[in-house]
Amino acid sequence: MIPLRRRFAWMLLLPLCALTISARAQVTPLVVEAALDHDVVAPLLEAFRRAHPEIDLEFHDRSTLTVDALVSEADPAPDVVISSAMPWQMARVNEGYAQRLDSPAARSWPAWAKWRDEVFGFTFEPIVMAYRLDLSKHMMPPQTHADLHTLLTTEQTQLRGKVTTYSPLKSGVGYTLFQQDARYTPRFWDLVAGMGRVNASLEANTRSMLEGLSDGRYWLGYNLLGSYAMVWAQEHPEVIVQVPQDYSLVMMRMAFIHRDAPHPGAAATFVDFLLGREGQRVLAGQTPLFSVRPDVVGPYTAARLRDQVGEQLYPIPLNASLLAFVDPQRRKAFLARWRREFERSRKVSSEP
Amino acid sequence: MIEVTGSLKRRLAVWLLSTVTGLGALLMLEAWVSTHRAAERAFDSQLEAAALTIAEAVQWQAGEPLVEVPAAALQILATRHQERVFYAVLDAYGEAVSTNMPFTLQPEWRARVADAPSALTTDFDGTSWRLYGREYDSAGWVSQEPVQVWVGHTRVGRQALGDELFERTLSRFLAMVLLAGILMAMALRVALGPMRRLRRQLRHRNADDMGPLDARVPEEMRELAQTLDHLFARQRHSREALLRFTADASHQLKTPLAGLKSTSELALKSQDPADWQAALLAVHDGADRTSRLASQLLSLARLRHIGEEGKVAPLDIVAVLRESVLDWAGREVARDHDLGLAELPVGPLWVRAEGWAIRELLGNLIDNALRYTKAGSEITLGLCQQRETVSLYVEDDGPGVPFEARERLLQPFERGGRQDTDGSGLGLAIVDSIARRLGGRLSLSERSPHGLIVTLHLPLVDHQCDQNATRLDDPDATREAPP
Repeated sequence: MIPLRRRFAWMLLLPLCALTISARAQVTPLVVEAALDHDVVAPLLEAFRRAHPEIDLEFHDRSTLTVDALVSEADPAPDVVISSAMPWQMARVNEGYAQRLDSPAARSWPAWAKWRDEVFGFTFEPIVMAYRLDLSKHMMPPQTHADLHTLLTTEQTQLRGKVTTYSPLKSGVGYTLFQQDARYTPRFWDLVAGMGRVNASLEANTRSMLEGLSDGRYWLGYNLLGSYAMVWAQEHPEVIVQVPQDYSLVMMRMAFIHRDAPHPGAAATFVDFLLGREGQRVLAGQTPLFSVRPDVVGPYTAARLRDQVGEQLYPIPLNASLLAFVDPQRRKAFLARWRREFERSRKVSSEP
Repeated sequence: MIEVTGSLKRRLAVWLLSTVTGLGALLMLEAWVSTHRAAERAFDSQLEAAALTIAEAVQWQAGEPLVEVPAAALQILATRHQERVFYAVLDAYGEAVSTNMPFTLQPEWRARVADAPSALTTDFDGTSWRLYGREYDSAGWVSQEPVQVWVGHTRVGRQALGDELFERTLSRFLAMVLLAGILMAMALRVALGPMRRLRRQLRHRNADDMGPLDARVPEEMRELAQTLDHLFARQRHSREALLRFTADASHQLKTPLAGLKSTSELALKSQDPADWQAALLAVHDGADRTSRLASQLLSLARLRHIGEEGKVAPLDIVAVLRESVLDWAGREVARDHDLGLAELPVGPLWVRAEGWAIRELLGNLIDNALRYTKAGSEITLGLCQQRETVSLYVEDDGPGVPFEARERLLQPFERGGRQDTDGSGLGLAIVDSIARRLGGRLSLSERSPHGLIVTLHLPLVDHQCDQNATRLDDPDATREAPP
């Protein structure tokens, strides 16, 4: 059926194509560089390809740091840049690498999830703790940050080597989350010290942490991306996802159209689709990325998440203050302190 | 002819509009500058605050300045307009300790900031930026050097705020202009009320109502109203004069006609051809007089109603006088009188007059003198030249006219109390009319021991000046004014 219809369309287009250069030129390429799991986002991309057959979408899934480097170094530049490393995305936009998107969807996008109408946070991913069922056999699983801190202090021996979290050095997302944690309370450093005491493993991404939990290498994970963890937990019953009851950070994937996008029209269409009702509907229904739009219904929406876990969701603010996180000196100082706190307790705990 | 040259309202409106537009443009220019300056100042203070917040975070560690850029400073910089932001902390040698963008800060900017905090506008990355730099003294245990904190942001917010303030000013100004316009129109309506009232009053006036105006007018219109009153008065007088003249003329014509009628009736009753003969002679004489009267009336009416007809060519009055006297001296009527000329000035004297007018005038004066003096009287004509005028006089040694009657002599049908002649009493009135027409003046005076002098004063003209022009304009002038 499809080839037939396509052929029919071809015949219709043929006179037009004869006038233009060739039939291939009708398809606009579109390059998206993203720090976003291809598997997770596949339904969205599929929906886009269906809605816009005239655009040949090329989606590259890379690490946050690679994506960030590509913004300034890639030649030709990518059309759309998506990353979960919010401060880096913000810094690129501030440097003028983004162009404004002027569309109804962009205009009506909530103000707290966009900046300058250039960069848009289009997902709503809670940051969670995850533990293995084994943990609950030995101790009361943590529900808050304070609980976690208590466990790390009281159950040092049992938890040694069984705790995992992001490496602030290797992962931009992890660094951002710790920075944001540190902004909320100075007791965060006690938590880092606790991590050091149990000699926590530092992973570069959520997937590794989840795999470790399923393998039994880890009992407890801190600061995992809820979007990935929730899907994982559905398939791996030994892993329990816990949204912290005191406060839960929310991370947003940020997308912007590159200033030097070779195909700005297609790029605008893509971002508009991300923000539009259809894209967000797919996001809410078929991916665990959570839709930001309040008018979209589905299992994965910000509104539904709020209903489930309460009001303790604290989205990382999408504003200029993010820029401070990528300041080299501040980053260096933060990492230095992080290492200091982490190492000191480790020494202290390994001494006896 | 009434030519309507625009309306007062429109003229006032145009004046108001152009004044308001001109002044308004200047005012708005000033407003634009000042609102944008105000916006700059408001946003500059935010730059200042951000710089201060960053400077607070500068600390020295191991001889190096260290700064942990506070997130709040960046949010202050970004403002609610979400500006792109820039910050840099420079050490004493101009090296960036911490910065977020490859801005090049010119050495002269750094030197300026070393003296005093300052803000400047520059272009970077195709965008206009506002930068603010400030030097802070800071000291650590190892080194004590100043650091410069530079902050900056794009200027969208400033422009938006400036435009917003300006728009507000502009709309207020426009509202004021509109209000002023409405008030002006209303004031104009009120102010022009008396004019409308006067107009209505004039329109409703009877055609033959020549009475003075009865209207309340403001000071500005007093002159107009008075002029109208004068006009009405003059019309009234001339109308009365016309009525009187018509009445007099009818009366004058009626008398000889009644005489003719009675003479002819008497003759018809008689059977004697001799009576018929006498009656016919009388009728002939009467008809003669009546016809002369009629022709004089005609010429008087004509003189009074002839309008000014362009420029009259200069005329040598000496030549005309001489010619006229010679003409009259040869006539039958002057046979019994001694008609002569006094010694005339040498050379021509130029006056602005038509030849026929002077001849008519002289004719009337001579005719009068012949009629109202006894046979054998002496009549002398002469010319007296003054500085700017020439006086033409006719004197006789007749009985003269009493002083109180002289003024009235110039009125039509006035014979100076004499009923013993067959004159119509129109001669001097005609002469007076001609004199007025020529821009001259007629005066009557007594001659001693007895007699009357009638003098016509005429302004002299400088013939040399417009001789050429006259020749070109009017070929007759050459004939009447021989060089």
